[in-house]
Amino acid sequence: MAEVKKRNIMKRLRPAPDGHSRVSMNRLKILVTIVPRAKADFYMDHIQSFGVNMQLVFFGQGTASREILSAMGLADSDRAVIFSIIREDKLRVALDSIEEKFNTIAGGKGIAYTIPMSSIIGKSIFNFLSNNRNQVGRSEQ
Amino acid sequence: MNTSSHELIMCVVNAGFSDTVMEAAKDAGARGGTILSGRGTANKAAESFFHIAIQPEKEVVMILVDTKIKDAVLHALYQKAGLGTMGQGIAFTLPVEDVVGLTPWKAEDKPADAPSPKTKKFEAV
Repeated sequence: MAEVKKRNIMKRLRPAPDGHSRVSMNRLKILVTIVPRAKADFYMDHIQSFGVNMQLVFFGQGTASREILSAMGLADSDRAVIFSIIREDKLRVALDSIEEKFNTIAGGKGIAYTIPMSSIIGKSIFNFLSNNRNQVGRSEQ
Repeated sequence: MNTSSHELIMCVVNAGFSDTVMEAAKDAGARGGTILSGRGTANKAAESFFHIAIQPEKEVVMILVDTKIKDAVLHALYQKAGLGTMGQGIAFTLPVEDVVGLTPWKAEDKPADAPSPKTKKFEAV
């Protein structure tokens, strides 16, 4: 009996065919947003409103040719690359909103994409990154 | 929004070789990239064992490409900026999903033709 139970638990813990663990509550993704440097703070504040608790920004240079830059309505090639750790269930609404900002804000054109995160270690870090406020309250009681 | 139609190529090269990387990538069909500067570290013992010197100043070039041309771009990077060249570059790709903000663009469009209607559109906005 115990053997069967153990086998069932092991089956549940075994990674899914795509290599990801089956036990995570909500998956996290890395949202990468590349925008003109002057708009970096604006986009970071905006992304933070989708329950993102940690963001990293790197300053870099874009390499698009002058023709493409002018076609996109951009003046210079200074870029900010923002890495945000975001919950998968918040991603759809965040990306839709970011895409709308790309199309409406003057000189705010950019690109955004996500990279799946395959693993993370540490319960408190996971709760912090996924903004699990109720989980933290429960563990303190 | 599209899923798995693009991949992110990360190419780490010695500082000053990002132009070589972008030239090779553009020849293979990439449209643009983003350059970050960084500092590399290496195992000192391994460096002396293999008789190679690692330059710590590095540049990381991030290029978002269509999955169809990924292999061609990687191959070009390996040839023009790989470990056998002065750039001593390594390149790898990451799967990306949900790409937004890319302007539709066809390789056969002449760059001289493309900007004029789009620029007008932006001026109107």
